[in-house]
Amino acid sequence: MRKTSKPKKIVTRRDFLKGAALGTLGMAFYGKDRHIFAKMAGGAGPFAAENPQSTLVLIRNEKAIGAGDAIDPAVVQEMIDAALKEFSGEQDTAKAWAKFIRPDDTVGVKFTRCDWMRVHTEQPVIDAVVKRVGEAGVPKDRIIAQDGGLPFAKCTALINVPTVKVHTLTGIAVSMKNYINFASQPSKYHAPSTNLGEIFVLPDVKGKTRLIIVDMLRPYFGPGPQINPLHRWNYYGIMVGTDPVAIDSTCLRLCQAKRNLFKGEDWPITPPPDFISYADKNLNLGTSDPAKIKLIKLGWDKDVLI
Amino acid sequence: MSKSRPQENKLSTAASSFASILPQEISGWQKSREDPVFGRENIFDYMDGAGEIYLAYDFRFIFVREFAQENAPSIVVEIYQMSSSEDAFGVFTQDTDGGDVELGQGAIYAAGLLRFWKDRIFVRILADKETPEAKSAVMKLGEMIAAAVHQEGKRPGLISALPSEGLRVKSLRYFHTLVSLNSHYFLAGENILNLSPETEAVLAQYERGKSRARLLLVAYPSSNKAEAANKQFAEIYLKEKPAPEGKLHPIELEDSKFSSVTRKGRFLLIVLEADTFPLCERLALEISHRLED
Repeated sequence: MRKTSKPKKIVTRRDFLKGAALGTLGMAFYGKDRHIFAKMAGGAGPFAAENPQSTLVLIRNEKAIGAGDAIDPAVVQEMIDAALKEFSGEQDTAKAWAKFIRPDDTVGVKFTRCDWMRVHTEQPVIDAVVKRVGEAGVPKDRIIAQDGGLPFAKCTALINVPTVKVHTLTGIAVSMKNYINFASQPSKYHAPSTNLGEIFVLPDVKGKTRLIIVDMLRPYFGPGPQINPLHRWNYYGIMVGTDPVAIDSTCLRLCQAKRNLFKGEDWPITPPPDFISYADKNLNLGTSDPAKIKLIKLGWDKDVLI
Repeated sequence: MSKSRPQENKLSTAASSFASILPQEISGWQKSREDPVFGRENIFDYMDGAGEIYLAYDFRFIFVREFAQENAPSIVVEIYQMSSSEDAFGVFTQDTDGGDVELGQGAIYAAGLLRFWKDRIFVRILADKETPEAKSAVMKLGEMIAAAVHQEGKRPGLISALPSEGLRVKSLRYFHTLVSLNSHYFLAGENILNLSPETEAVLAQYERGKSRARLLLVAYPSSNKAEAANKQFAEIYLKEKPAPEGKLHPIELEDSKFSSVTRKGRFLLIVLEADTFPLCERLALEISHRLED
């Protein structure tokens, strides 16, 4: 008996309107239920989830960026420490880091260096992470802070330190996009980028990501492909978590809110970053549904947007 | 290696004309390194992750000169050589946020970034941070380049089909392929309109009174190709049978907005997200009348 293969379903904008694609995120960005985020943004508590499945800590400090957009390393260090203590439930910084990093680890600190676009992880953020990893007992020669060429296979632990930017080909580039150069053929994950999360489950990557520390000091919300300074803003934030899907989902909400504010009308991020829901539903990599993400907010709350 | 060398030589020769346009020093900023040139084969060495957007146009090469000055922001000049003025215009429309400036055939300045197009070149000049001195140097560099390009180029003819009433000029985008469409407006995960380097497309927003709509106009090499795309759009996106006479009346979609598709000869005219049925119908009709048969 001949088998007939089912025709491939083509996802269209209408699927987003119906909420059939991207799940809750789709409804949020393209559908009538966008107001659910408006409620959250203006809501009473730090999180609205009834049954949170993933926790993130967002900390903001208006002193983190000074005149001429200079980053204050001491403030950044304080922010990362405070966020990590909150995230780990420890009162002490050293104990907090010890929950994630062991002295016998070889630690890869994967940051984003994007010279041509200039939206890269700020050096004080990288330095703060490297400093604490060293204080956790890892010798200098086993701390490898790098973007391209990071020898991830020989690392026993990875700390993902991305920045936040809207991206012409993937929709948004945060923690999942930051690992794209771990793939043997990175361009395979550009347009479409649905399978981007697969990189997290490559044999030499899977299970190694102990922490994600997102540089949200100066995110980028414009269309690209190259920087337009009008589309960069000082958000003064650092986010800490371990769930790349929840982190990307939350940063997507932030950038979408900022875009709408900038234009004074809906300005959907495009192409839709469907890799976020794919990583949730198909790879079980984390939680994409904002209603199931517990976002703990610390510090400065002016224009927090999420 | 033997293959890439002639290509590199060709690029170097072509780029040398740009090198001679630009000064070694401007207002205290000095040329800070050798001028790199990137072609279609190695554009990713310069902009890994975004080269696709330029490759989606008939891009030939990019010439880069960097200027530096102590205690001042760096300035980077990028000159994109395209094969046609239409594509120089198209790349220019990729991002139109900023204030209009009188330069070349269209220019925008915002916070240290100047972009303009003239004839077959598109230029970006970016000061790392905006200061009055850096802005002045950026503008002077732009004027030098624009003055050195002696002729003006054609804008895409397809644009003349757009009625001016209610057109949000800054929303206008001109492109060829799906990568570009998706970077402006997501229609579908697959290439249901069969966009290719052979197609020309214009995307624009309209606002008439309190009603808005988007318009996507595509020119195909032949009416057969336009009809194939018409059929796919009607069936896959609108979930309707394509109209035999080529015009499908406005359909209300899930967001309570209207969409329609009309094929006229080798053109496909799609109205999207129209707030009202009459606006959807009116726009399609007006543009249809303006298109050649």
